[in-house]
Amino acid sequence: MEITILEKTEHNIKFILEGMDVAFANALRRTMLTRLPAMAIDEVLVIENTSVMYDEMLAHRLGLVPLTTILEDYNLPDKCDCEGKGCSLCQCTLTLEKEAGDEEIMVFSRDLSSQDPKVVPASGDIPLVKLAPHQRIIIEAYARLGRGVENAKFQPVATVAYKYVPLVTVDKSKCTLCGDCVEVCPKKILRLNGNTLATQNTLDCSLCEACVEECEAGAITIDSKPDSFLFKVESTGSLPPEEIVVKSAELLKERVQVALDFANSL
Amino acid sequence: MIIPVRCFTCGKVIADKYEQFKREVRQGDDPAVVLDRLGYNRYCCRRMLLSHIDIIDNFMAFATTEGVEQR
Ligand SMILES: [Zn+2]
Repeated sequence: MEITILEKTEHNIKFILEGMDVAFANALRRTMLTRLPAMAIDEVLVIENTSVMYDEMLAHRLGLVPLTTILEDYNLPDKCDCEGKGCSLCQCTLTLEKEAGDEEIMVFSRDLSSQDPKVVPASGDIPLVKLAPHQRIIIEAYARLGRGVENAKFQPVATVAYKYVPLVTVDKSKCTLCGDCVEVCPKKILRLNGNTLATQNTLDCSLCEACVEECEAGAITIDSKPDSFLFKVESTGSLPPEEIVVKSAELLKERVQVALDFANSL
Repeated sequence: MIIPVRCFTCGKVIADKYEQFKREVRQGDDPAVVLDRLGYNRYCCRRMLLSHIDIIDNFMAFATTEGVEQR
């Protein structure tokens, strides 16, 4: 297995995975989506809420706010010594207290004050509710680790997708340089360069094969590289994208081991 | 009522950029260009911002705060 990182930003990572089949690529994708734990608010105690928004709606919005997660610091509630009742090892309390003066105000996710400075909203600019003059909210929220299988708010990723690595080849002896394929390509992969048909940014190719259909001479072939995948992982901000990939691979390995142990015990 | 925290389809956080989106569109920028600049490349996230109508201000016109002041 070989991984080549193409692009890495704060929330995104793009890499090529080589030497693995579809089954593995999809298993990795699904592990990232549904098995990797992340923190999210799960229980909300509304002490006071005079805003125009219902308590339930407010609680739902709070649950969707991504929280930065340190996986080593917290236990999953079902694996915690407290047996899921909620203790300081598996739960983090966040409080929100805000009152509007004579002007209306917007309550943002940054107004949530956390008991643990490492578990804070990944983005402070998420509007939660707007308060009319003299309205007030006092809220206590309990965040815990959870998995994507349970609720999508626990997913550390927004999207994880993979596609085949495209291979665009032009047969120069057949090409008539008509330029029809250049027009038809939605991703602008093909380009007429003097008297040759050149390719550019081939990784952007969506494998639609519009150029193959357009080319009467049959000079273009679109193929995909065997056992190679182009992955795109987009984090919600709860975990850094590279950590998501590494931790998911470890989790997948553990789960495969469990399956193997079971098979061997039969 | 108020801008949803995340995209309904893919789960990307969209609420934190809504104010900026609204401001820049009001200044006369093309919404498509603003969305590209904010990094919303998928049409699921784009429609969240494009088609949203904020009605919380309309609700707030009916807000009652008397109950709080009496206490
Ligand atoms: Zn989306």
